[in-house]
Amino acid sequence: MTVRCLLGMLGTDVHSKGIRTLAQVLRDAGIEVIYLGEHNSVAGMVRAVIDEDADIIGLSFSSAAYLEYIRQFVTAMRENGVGSVPLMIGGLIHPDDHLPLQEMGISGIFGPGSRMDAIIDFVRNKGGSLQ
Amino acid sequence: MNGIPPRAAAVLAGDHRMAGRLITIAEAGDTDIEPELGVLYRAGGSSRIIGITGPPGAGKSTFLDCLISRLRSLKRRIAVLAIDPSSPLSGGAVLGDRVRMQRHAEDRGIFIRSMAARGALGGLAHAAGDAVTILDAMAFDDIIIETVGVGQSETDILGLADIVILMQTAHGGDGIQSVKAGILEIADIIVVNKADTVGTDRMIRTLQEMVAHRIQTAAGWDTPVLPTEATNGAGIDAVLDAIDAFYRCRGANREATMQRDRRRMRARILTLAQAALRHRINILTEPSLLAAIDAVISRVMEPREALKLLVFPANS
Repeated sequence: MTVRCLLGMLGTDVHSKGIRTLAQVLRDAGIEVIYLGEHNSVAGMVRAVIDEDADIIGLSFSSAAYLEYIRQFVTAMRENGVGSVPLMIGGLIHPDDHLPLQEMGISGIFGPGSRMDAIIDFVRNKGGSLQ
Repeated sequence: MNGIPPRAAAVLAGDHRMAGRLITIAEAGDTDIEPELGVLYRAGGSSRIIGITGPPGAGKSTFLDCLISRLRSLKRRIAVLAIDPSSPLSGGAVLGDRVRMQRHAEDRGIFIRSMAARGALGGLAHAAGDAVTILDAMAFDDIIIETVGVGQSETDILGLADIVILMQTAHGGDGIQSVKAGILEIADIIVVNKADTVGTDRMIRTLQEMVAHRIQTAAGWDTPVLPTEATNGAGIDAVLDAIDAFYRCRGANREATMQRDRRRMRARILTLAQAALRHRINILTEPSLLAAIDAVISRVMEPREALKLLVFPANS
């Protein structure tokens, strides 16, 4: 079955080069990317997860506020009945934050130096797990 | 709600999550939602179904965003089906139409679904009809379908929408383009977007002349050609008025509307028939399919004879 992966950025972060590159790489790997771009709100993105019935979500951050945003996002997902959709995080993620992110249930953390094929494998495996 | 499948009942109760789920199942071509679709189709019929089509980059998504804002200010509940192409190489897609509609992201009066065409060539996706069935049952006031960026002959939207809005720009070609068969013939409203572009007036006049000399798309309806600037909303109100006028015209010409609906439903059923036949040939047990293919290659059989053997075995 085709995996539908929702990609986007929260808040004021404008560093979209990475997530745009990822969108194209996933497309070339046969994934359907629902691309939300920058400047999304937590509530708006959760509505998109619901209407689009996304199989997996990818958020990219290059700003320091990501722990708080991710906490809000995970909470809003759970409150809206889509807490089981896998979430991956990419961008400038500091190693010190891996543990708190894992404690929030984030299984895919792709910081600097991550390999594209590792991300593709993650999207295929985790994205297919709900179907 | 006795006897109603629970998933259909959830959709009828307005559950976005279940609607999203059922559209995914329809996209996968899974026939186990047929009971739900049966219930939902019978419950539908109240939504206006508005198609927006046009070449890539004409401004369809930006125009749609503008249209949504105006319709929401009238308190109308809106569903959007935005279709983008699938990669012919990988089968993947980047569905980017939501980026233009971001300001509506938190609005609970709107349902937005992106769909990949998944090999469908007529400007829609194979599951677009099922998605409309599901959304129509939720009694949205308007269901707006944005096709993939089209060329000249992708006219499947005709089989799904009550009204077809064609987006053009000043760069859409000369007078010869405007009299060719295809997409221009099916437009109930033509919008010339990016109206601040040089050449817009000329394009509008060319299209007006074309429209005046062709067969009407609906009895008593003269297709208007309207300039817009979707980035700032200029001209959008005139398009909304034209949509309302079109529906009044539909209401006033019962017999003609019936004929048009029959033509539309015929197109929708034919689209389903094509998909079903393709599916039927694809699931044929390999030996019989291979044998027929080899028989055609070796000229023991003509391709049409193979088709009859494969699809209508009882008659051959």
